[in-house]
Order: sequence, then structure tokens, then C-alpha cells
Amino acid sequence: MTLKEKKETRAALLFASPWVIGFCVFLAYPLLASIYYSFCDYSVLRPPVWIGLRNYTNLFQDEVFYKTLSNTAFYAIFALPLGMLVAIGLALLLNTKVRGLAVYRTIFFLPSLVPMVSLAVLWLWLFNGENGLVNIGLGMIGIKGPNWLSDPEFSKPALILLSLWGTGNAMVIYLAGLQDVPVQLYEAADLDGASPWDKVRNVTIPMISPVILFNLIMGIIGTLQVFTVPYVMFPGGSPARSTYFYTMYLFDNAFRYQKMGYACAMGWIMFVIILVLTMVSLRLSEKHVHYGGGA
Amino acid sequence: MVNRSLFPALGLIGVAATAWYSERLTAPEVRPGPVRITYWEKWTGFEGDAMRAVVDEFNRSQDEIFVELLTVSGIQDKTLLATSGGNPPDVAGLFGPNVAQYADNMAVMPLTEFCKEAGIGPEDYIPCYWDIGFYKGEVYSLPTTPASTALHYNRALLKAAGLDPDRPPKTIEELDAYAEKLTKRNGSRIEVSGFLPNEPGWWNWSWGYFFGGKLLEGDTITANSPENIRAYEWIQSYSKKYGAGDIQAFRSGFGNFSSPQNPFMSQKVAMVLQGVWMYNFISQFAPELDWAAAPFPYPADRPDLAEPTLVDLDVLVIPVGAKHPKEAFEFIKFVQSQKGMELLCMGQRKHSPLREVSPGFYEKHPNPYIRLFTELAYSKNAIPAPKIGIWPEYQAELNAAFDEVYLMRKTPKEALDYVQARMTPLWEDYLLKQKLREQR
Amino acid sequence: MAQSLARQNKSRTAAIHLILMVLSGFFMLPLLWMLSTALKPIEETMTQPPTWIPTRVLWHNFSDAFTYGRDTLGYTPFLVYGRNTLVLCILGVAGTVVSNSLVAYSFARLKWKGRDFAFAVTLATMMVPFPVLMVPIYGMFKEFGWIGTFKPLWVPAWFGSAFAIFLLRQFFRSIPMELSEAAKIDGASEWAIYWQVVMPLAKPALAVIALFNFMGTWNDFLGPLIYLLDQKTFTLSLGLQVFQSQHGGTQWNLLMAASAIVVAPIILLFFFTQKQFIEGITMTGLKG
Repeated sequence: MTLKEKKETRAALLFASPWVIGFCVFLAYPLLASIYYSFCDYSVLRPPVWIGLRNYTNLFQDEVFYKTLSNTAFYAIFALPLGMLVAIGLALLLNTKVRGLAVYRTIFFLPSLVPMVSLAVLWLWLFNGENGLVNIGLGMIGIKGPNWLSDPEFSKPALILLSLWGTGNAMVIYLAGLQDVPVQLYEAADLDGASPWDKVRNVTIPMISPVILFNLIMGIIGTLQVFTVPYVMFPGGSPARSTYFYTMYLFDNAFRYQKMGYACAMGWIMFVIILVLTMVSLRLSEKHVHYGGGA
Repeated sequence: MVNRSLFPALGLIGVAATAWYSERLTAPEVRPGPVRITYWEKWTGFEGDAMRAVVDEFNRSQDEIFVELLTVSGIQDKTLLATSGGNPPDVAGLFGPNVAQYADNMAVMPLTEFCKEAGIGPEDYIPCYWDIGFYKGEVYSLPTTPASTALHYNRALLKAAGLDPDRPPKTIEELDAYAEKLTKRNGSRIEVSGFLPNEPGWWNWSWGYFFGGKLLEGDTITANSPENIRAYEWIQSYSKKYGAGDIQAFRSGFGNFSSPQNPFMSQKVAMVLQGVWMYNFISQFAPELDWAAAPFPYPADRPDLAEPTLVDLDVLVIPVGAKHPKEAFEFIKFVQSQKGMELLCMGQRKHSPLREVSPGFYEKHPNPYIRLFTELAYSKNAIPAPKIGIWPEYQAELNAAFDEVYLMRKTPKEALDYVQARMTPLWEDYLLKQKLREQR
Repeated sequence: MAQSLARQNKSRTAAIHLILMVLSGFFMLPLLWMLSTALKPIEETMTQPPTWIPTRVLWHNFSDAFTYGRDTLGYTPFLVYGRNTLVLCILGVAGTVVSNSLVAYSFARLKWKGRDFAFAVTLATMMVPFPVLMVPIYGMFKEFGWIGTFKPLWVPAWFGSAFAIFLLRQFFRSIPMELSEAAKIDGASEWAIYWQVVMPLAKPALAVIALFNFMGTWNDFLGPLIYLLDQKTFTLSLGLQVFQSQHGGTQWNLLMAASAIVVAPIILLFFFTQKQFIEGITMTGLKG
């Protein structure tokens, strides 16, 4: 390396030092420690005791573990695609250059700003079986609303509906992506006599597919970690553990049952699941995602 | 140039100042004078006032120790968190059932030596209450306020339903019959309920005991014993009779416990299992209510289970890592004295966990049923929570099972078999880990 | 032909407007309901059928919620929670702006061996969920004696975050290299280039990450839940949850008022910084 390169490298490392330290202290060390603890019986009040694979074998026989996995999967499988549909749908509507676009955009975006605890508290009230706005609204069109908060069949749907209210954030991203699509492509499609639906399917979606992919991956990572809203709305995952999600169980194991090794094992399993899903998404995306968009 | 380079410098100073300020906000206060100890307690309202009076009295009576009382919600979780984090209060007011778990995790200090020095022993207390704090041969907690529970019922509603208001149900079967007469519906909506097994819903785990079932026998989990199953069948009978959905809808309109919208106090539920504190809430929020208390019913074929009562206890512990354990115990000792204890219990309108009460304690006590609650505490069918280190998990399982049974999603046998199947390996695993820990 | 097309367009636009208005209603209703409930007296929250406009508008519900517990605690909870949250936001935003700009500069403007690999690793760390790190980090903070203080909530912000590094690096790369080279010819050090050439131009991007960090801190719940012990040190999110779990059930009007108190500053902030918000969000989505 030339002297100039050496100087540049040294400067580069100096500039990057906060991250280097941060990476080692807040990422690498905890990640490795977490694996170690997952093989131990560890309550932070006492030093860890090595117990080999016991935490993992216990996990695989733990019905609550499977229940929280399935709850989380159920939530993700519905909330993610529905969220994307709503966000893209809204963005498509707004993309038609209607008057008052900025106002609508603000209206749809505002709910995604609401802090999660406020969100949970607000929807606790909205979903109230007797006095909640949701059931009142349903009542006005002649449907007897269920007990969203105390019926295990409806507690997760309630959370999914709630999550749809907060898609304004994603909508804005999709809107920007839509506005980036070159108009010529639409004009060309028009010349071919394409219907609006054809245009969406063959021009719009492919052109914003990178955005969709990004949102999908971020969505997977976020949805699998859902914690705050169910923690506030459904303590203990009641009723009947229907809203007991993975991170809540992890948290309880760590801080309520003092089984931190067990919690670390759960954490690593979650990480592996996220990795796998991300890889799968990326692999699938190679066929479907169309880069090079934008003028 | 001068302008611009000043800006970030100011910014950095501002940030540094904020950082220093943030440290000040979370630093413990160090003042000269008496040793300051922190005491976390769960009570609010008039119950909190009662303890505050005791703390003030203690602080007033001597100069060496100053107790700082802090009201904390979710106290059993918060104290565990604080102890794990190495920053616990000196005294914490937990619930009796927390003791075993904390002790197993070495989160609380044994008080046995302190007690010996102070001459505090089991002979001073009503047996069931001393027992709650005594675990694996050590004293881990001492009582604050005791509780026992009884059937509270609405005399006016009984009268209106053609039942004798001075003859409350004695057996479970009578309870069920009374409940039927007392329940009023408007179409499919329940307007008044005679009795609901999950009201208030704080002791859903305990119903088995009322039918003679135990959750733990020695070192074996016995969740699905026949008596427990029978209890859950009784619970499910209410859902069958009144409709699980209808009950749920009814319950979602209930108000907060400590408000006039409390279901018992707003006359929505005619009979309810409640504790010695109930009198106080009624007199505050529904003074016009015509009510009475009686021992909770027992199954007709098991007269040996008469006078069942859930006994619970608020306790004081010294978390491991507390900075001033000796001073902490001085305060605890004060609370255990007859003077301190009665000041507290009278203030909360409860009975005293001490065997001896000062003359006139019962006469002066505003709760008309105070003797009943004290007698119930001596009952041979007093039911404390099982002293087991995995109580939080066990309780969570039982609550889940209760929900499943109540919502008619599982039969009682299925639900309890499930609890048994889950808890048994968990318990064995736990015992094994305890042994490994002790070996180290 | 043109006429019927125009008519088609008109009816299409009308239809779209209708749909948008209905949807807007759905999106706005919950917030309006929150306000409506917050202003009602308690009995009116449970009337059947429900009303929108309370018969008596209780503005003091807001002050009641704000000052609840003041007598027993000796301080005004929400005021204290707000102050604590603000302190954390200031420290967090400062840390995020300082540390991430430095790191992004290294990735974007400097050449060094392994740089692109390191950047890929940085991106990959975004996949690591907090729960897997939670226990060891907690144990680490405990060893430091930091549990119960604010430090675990703002110190990590001073050591970089993958997301902000990513955003800033993309932005920094879009600044022409000629500017840096010109400065180098003038004999400027890297620090000088960073400080006097790149940073001034980066203001929009910095504003965005500052905003995101601010919102994240305002919103954070799990962090305060495990690191803060004394109620006097709680943040708004945690304080609201404590308020809800203590007074849950009936006091819906106060609860909604308290909830509104926590939401309001963010909404206000949004109206003042709309441009940055939208820009920032689109930046994250598009450059991904």
C-alpha cells in the first residue's frame, strides 16, 4: 500500500471506529454470548451453569413454544400481505393525481405515527365488546360484533386489523416508488390497448418490485418481533394464549421466570428463522424483482 | 467562520450538559443524616395511605433511618427486574405467592437470623400466615396485611328473588340454585348474574381446592386430580348454563374494580368471592349497598371442606443486593409490632396476622364481618398458594386452562391433563436445575 | 369519442374521490374517537348508543390525566415522563447524528480494503433481531451498574446503527467526489473535508435520521421496560402503559386523554417537518 492509501485507511478506520466498537460490543459479543447462554441454565442473579442441549430439547417439547410460534406465524402471514395490499392499493389510488393528494396522504400517514403504546390503548377502547367503536360500527350495518378482546378466535384478527391502520408509512414509500415509474411505459401500454388492471400487473408492480421486496424483508423482521402492542392489550397473551407471541414468551422466560438461557435459545431460533426467510425472499426475488427502475 | 464553528461547540456542550443532567435524574440521592432506605410497595388509594401512616410513624419515632416509600405497579415483576439489574430497593412489598420463586432464585435474603435476634417467631402469628413466609427452612418474608376470602352477597337482590337474605347458600349446589334464581336476562343479554366463577378472576387457579383438590402433593404435580377436574366441571357448568359468549359480553361492560362500576357494587353480580378488603371499597363506592358476608360454600358431599377460604398475604422482603439490609429489617420489625401492624391493618380495614390483638381491636373495627375473616384464617381449610418456585408458570398454565374450560373449548379433563402434562416435565427440569445450582 | 372518454375519466375521478373519502373516514375515525372520548364525562363513555359530541366538554380531563397521581407521588407524572423522554431524545439524536455521519463518511468517501465487505456485513446486521441480543446486553449493563439509569437507552446511539449508516452512506455517495478532491488539493485533512465539505451538504439526510431516531426514542417501550426501575425515571411510553395497567378498565376518558397527550407532540412535530418525514421515508424505501 502506498503511503497515501495507508493514510486513507487509517483515517477510514478512525472514522468508522464508533461503529467498530458498537458492532463488537452491541452485536458480536451479545450474539456469541447468547449462543453460549443458550447452552446454560442462566438466571442473571447466579452465574451460568452449563447444561448442554437441555434448553433446546426442552424447547422442542414445549407446547407453549409451538403455540407462540404458530401465533406469530398466523399474525405474520395475514398482517404482512394484507398490509402490503392496503398500502399499495392506497398508493395506487393516490397516484391518480387526484386533487387534495397531500391532504389524503397526510390522513393516511398520520396513524402510523402514533406511538405503539398509545395505539394499543386506543384500540383497547375501540375493540371493547360493548362500547367499542368497531362493534358499534358493525352494529350499524346489522352485524353483531364479536368480543374482540376476550374471544380467542378474534383476538389475533383484531391485532391484524389494527396493524392495517398503520400502513400509511408503507403507503408513502410505495407512492414515491410509483411516482418514479416512467410515464412512457404506461403510454406504451396504452398503445397496446392494455386495461388498467393489465397496466398494474405488467408495468406498475414489476417497476416497484424492489420496493416491495425491501418492505417484505423489513416486514418479516419486524412482524416476527411483535411485542409492544400485544403486551399492552393482552397481558399474558390472554385469552387462552391466543395472542401470546414469540417475543412475549421470550421476554417472560428471561425476566419473569428467570430462565435466561432458555430465552437465549429462543432468540437464536428466531434469528435463524429470520435468516432463512430473508434468504428465501432474496432467492425468490431474483426471478420476480425488476431492478433498474426510475428515470 | 466564527459563527459556524461556535454552533457545534455549543451543541456539544449542550449535549454534555444533558448527559450530566440525565445522570442526576437517575442517581440515588446521597444526603447526610439518617440512612435512607427505599421501600417499594404496591398499594394506592386508601390502602397506600394506611402504609404511608406506618412509614411516617416509623420515621417520626427515630432519627437513624428514613424510609422512602414508593408506589410501584406490577411490583413482583419490577422487583425481580430491579434485583436482576443489581439495583433493587431495600424493602419490597410482594405477594405471598412470590416468595418461593424469589427464594429459589436467590433474589431475596433469608431473614431467619434477623428474626432470631429480634425475637420474632411463629408463636406470634396466625399459623397460616407465618407459614407463607417460611420456605425450605428459612424465613424469607414477614407479613404486612393478611387476607382471607368469603362469599359476599347482595341481600337486596336475594330478597327480590324470593330468597332469605339471612340464609346464604351453604353448599355449592345451593350456590348454583341461588345463582339461577338471581340471574336476570333481557332477551339474550344478561343484565344481572347470580354468580360468576371468574369474578374477580384473581384466583382462577384455586377452585380445585374448594373441591378438595390439591395442586401439589409433596414433590408431585397433581393438576389433574379427580377433585380438580370436578371443580373445573363446575366452572364449565356456568358457561353451559348461561352461555360463554353471553357471559363474555356481559363482562366486557364491567367497570374498574375500585370504582362505583365494580360489578358487585353496581349490582350486576349478586354473589361474589371476595376478600376482607371488600368492605372498604363498598363503603367508599357503594355505601348504600345492602350486603353481607358468609363462609364460601362447600360441596354437599364434602362437609369436611367447610369454611374454605383463600388466605393470602402481603409480605415484606429484603431483595438480594439491597444496600441497607440491617436498616431495612429495623423497619420490617416495626411493622411486625402490634402497634405498627394494627395501624396498618386497621387502616386497610383488614384483620391482623398476629395472634394477639390489642383490646378493642375488633370492637373498633369498622368492618362488620371482621371476626368472620379472622376465624376463617384459622380454618383448617385455609388455602394458600402452593409454595413452588415455578409458581408463575404454573399459575399461567392454570389460568390458560381456566380460560379454555370457561370458553368451552376444552373439557375439564382435557384442560387439566394438558396442564399436568406440561407442568410435570417443567417441574422435574426445575428440580434438576436447582440441584445443579446448589452443587456449584 | 373524446367526449365519452372525458366522461369516463370524470366518473372515474369521482369514484376514486368517493373511495378515498370513505377510506379517509376510516383512518381518521379512531383518532377523532379518541379525542371525543377524552372530552367526555365518564358515564357518557358507556352510553348506548354512543355519542360523538359530549354533552359537557371536559377539557379538564386532559389536565386530570396529566396530573394524575400528583398527590401521592409528589410530582406530576406525565410532566416528568415527558422531561425524561425529551432528555433521552436529545442524547439519542445527538449520538445518532454524530456517530453515523462519521461512519458513513468512512464507507462512502474513503477507500479502504474490505470496505464493501464491511458494508455488506453492516447491512446484514439489520437482520439480527433485538431479542437474541437482549439477555447478554442486559447482563452487560448490569455488570456496568447501568440498570436503573438512562445510559442503556442512549449510549448505544453513539456507536452507530446499521440503518442510519446505510441511509447516510447512500446520501454521501451522491455528493460529487470532485468537491472532496478539490479540498484535498487545498491541503485539507479528512476531518476538514468531513466537517466543512460533506456535512453542510448532508443536512437533509441528517435531519431525516435525527427525526427517525427521535420518533424511535419517543416510541420505545421494551427498552425502558427492562432498563428503568424508578417510576420517576419512566418515559412517556412506559408511563402511559403504567397508567393504563393501574387504572385500566373504566377510566377510559382519562386514558384517552393521556394517550392523546403522548401522541400530540409527535403529530405536531410531523406538521412542522412534513417535508423531511416524507423525504426520509421515501429515501429508505427507494434506495433499498
